Amino acid sequence: MSHAVVFDGVSFTYPGAPDPALSEVSFGLEEGSFVLVTGPTGAGKSTLIRAMNGLVPHFSGGSLTGSVTVAGRRTLDLPPRKLADIVGFVPQDPGAAFVVDRVEDELAYGMENLGVPAATMRRRAEEVMDLLAIESLRNRSVRALSGGERQRVAIAAALTTAPRLLLLDEPTSQLDPQGAEDVLAALQRLVHDLGLTVVVAEHRLERVAGFVDLALGCSPGGKVVLGSPAETLGRVGTGPPVTRLGRMLGWSPAPLTVREARRMVAGTNLGAPVAGDSRGDASDAPGEGPAAQVEGHLSSPASRRSHRQSPPQPPTPPGPRLRPAAAPAVPEGSPSQARVPLVRAQSLVAAHGDREVLSGLDVGLCPGEIVALVGRNGSGKTTLLRCLSGLHPPARGTVETAAGGRPAPGLDVALCPQDPDMMLFCETVREEIEATLAAKGLRGGAGALAGPLGLRDLLESHPRDLSAGERLLVAAAAVVASGAPVLLLDEPTRGLDVESKGRLGAFLRSLAATGHGVMFASHDVELVAEVATRVLMLAGGELLADGHPAEVMADSPVFSPQMARVFGAPWMTPEQVAMAVRGR
Amino acid sequence: MSTTNPFYLLPLFAAAWFVHSARRIEGPGARSFKVFVLFGALTVGTRTALVLLGPVNRGSVLAAMLEGLRVAVMLAVFGTFSSVTDSWRILRLTPRRFHEPALAAALALSIAPRTIVAAARVREAQRMRGIEPRRWRALPALAVPVLATGMEEAGTLAESMDARGHGRGRRSSYRTEPWGPAAWATATTAALAAAVFLLVARALGGGLTPSTFPFVWPEASPWLVLAALSFSLPGALRPETRP
Repeated sequence: MSHAVVFDGVSFTYPGAPDPALSEVSFGLEEGSFVLVTGPTGAGKSTLIRAMNGLVPHFSGGSLTGSVTVAGRRTLDLPPRKLADIVGFVPQDPGAAFVVDRVEDELAYGMENLGVPAATMRRRAEEVMDLLAIESLRNRSVRALSGGERQRVAIAAALTTAPRLLLLDEPTSQLDPQGAEDVLAALQRLVHDLGLTVVVAEHRLERVAGFVDLALGCSPGGKVVLGSPAETLGRVGTGPPVTRLGRMLGWSPAPLTVREARRMVAGTNLGAPVAGDSRGDASDAPGEGPAAQVEGHLSSPASRRSHRQSPPQPPTPPGPRLRPAAAPAVPEGSPSQARVPLVRAQSLVAAHGDREVLSGLDVGLCPGEIVALVGRNGSGKTTLLRCLSGLHPPARGTVETAAGGRPAPGLDVALCPQDPDMMLFCETVREEIEATLAAKGLRGGAGALAGPLGLRDLLESHPRDLSAGERLLVAAAAVVASGAPVLLLDEPTRGLDVESKGRLGAFLRSLAATGHGVMFASHDVELVAEVATRVLMLAGGELLADGHPAEVMADSPVFSPQMARVFGAPWMTPEQVAMAVRGR
Repeated sequence: MSTTNPFYLLPLFAAAWFVHSARRIEGPGARSFKVFVLFGALTVGTRTALVLLGPVNRGSVLAAMLEGLRVAVMLAVFGTFSSVTDSWRILRLTPRRFHEPALAAALALSIAPRTIVAAARVREAQRMRGIEPRRWRALPALAVPVLATGMEEAGTLAESMDARGHGRGRRSSYRTEPWGPAAWATATTAALAAAVFLLVARALGGGLTPSTFPFVWPEASPWLVLAALSFSLPGALRPETRP
């Protein structure tokens, strides 16, 4: 089989950078592969992807040695536009990459440049709109789309040119879980049916691990390894929650998907030990495996679930035995009823123009709470945050602080912007935090805020030199410095790797511990499972559910975290499960 | 040919204002007229203030004000253009051989509304930190993120265009919009008014640049005033619906 991409001894250094971003990278990707690019922030994922269509080095500058060959063409000899007929590219920020205005014209833009005949253009535009379910957006302006819609349109616009290779830089970062699943499934179909090669950089491994058949692992220093997803994730030392659980418990090989984890765990109840050497036949081969460890320490969650209304489960093997005493406690009822909320919306109705976005919400946020807002793209999460922050006036109903009266932005409530670059303007992280303090008439004190965020070593760095994750943390620190008792965040995990997400989670917990109220909107179910003390589920501007994450999310086929899928409620994080299994 | 005669400049401004209020379209561009008029007022003020720094007499102050007014009216016309036109629709009305410059113009025109949107987002973000956007000291907090993000987005756009085959030379068209009666009428009115202005001014003079030193009350040709006012005619046209 011929290769879609060949890297031969490729080293690349950005202009002015002391260290190479890619160092002696060699691999070949066969046509029709679905490839994940993984690794921590700043390890060169974007560089690797952009080297596949010539943006590196033609746009980035810098020096590239070795050769990158795409479908037989050397990228060093050709500018990106000369590769446009074989490579499609979806950048990280699709909003800034749109060229024309209307969605349908945007889909046609690439084809027009390639001189595709009008009749073919029409047909392809229709096909791709169907494939990505964006037909209803056809006449909309690309600038008026939501983040999730933009990502779909950008992917569609890259597909209309019928490329042999499709490069995507974090294509699902703004999609809700179901939307992400749909888009990845659509891409997988193209891989299977047409032999398209897809290379995707993605931090949310739980979303992609089940779709890809190869993984490129980037590590700091510019080393890149190619292998099966299991091998590569093992070497890079990252993975979705099921994989992390497998590693914590010493399962070998660690499972990659919920399905694999279920099979491995299911062995327990059958009494048959599970194979430890090959994932493929883990469920039926004898040997040493995770089952041996899980056995006896976990009691079936099915019995505890029986008193609750739960939808019929997919054909799940009876779960592992969970020891009841070890099960994480699910508090009864909503904890907010007992205390006075820092900010509260009552019968809140909000609209954009004539369109009603929120219809009669009652929501409160108490000190010490970390509330997660989940729901589909367009369910009203951002609008609710803007109403609570005092930026968006309610059409009807009230938004009040504990003292009564509309919340004052930056005084009662602080909303951390979705894009930290909309806020950062100073030369150093320290100045950035002190700018907020100065506006409050305070001096110094940046160190105390930077500490819990792990930013202490970066205080003298320029904010724009930091990674996306670090910039978000700086923005969060700058906003919290306002002293507002309520912190709201809109999709804070966009572009964050597992490590940065951990730091963000720890920061939110430390805020809650000091009496702040925290609310964040997120599509990242694993982060929600990790840090939220309460979950609000929105749908079509209405509150669908309000309660402990284990109650609200565990039964949802879309919003449940991986642990709940494998072990049932109330298991939310791999740490909980590992502790329950180990701690006798 | 340019003029500093207020009897021509003010009708031009009135025409711009009328077209703007009659034909403004939805979207972030709708506010650009206001923004550009504001810039224009600032120009007049700054231009005049600069003169006050030097030796002052009635003539020099008036000359500065009229020059400022000329720039302000040009800005207002530009503001009207971006508030009443969908530059992307103009791109579709453009014959294929002019596609490249038209695309460049459309992208350039989209900068103003995009910047207005970005500035609003930055203001909101800084309010969350207690940085009061109305203070002069807040200027870097507002300007730096807008400019830096603008530069970054421009880079992303350039990359995206190249990666999608821009500039390969051979092009086809997905769809072009035919010119309807309103498009023809607008173009004809503008061309006629400009032609009258040029021809009458050349033939009869008409005081395009009135003398301010010594100060003379400027004369005005009714033909030229009429020509200036006729730029408002497109505001009375019924727009065509999108195909």
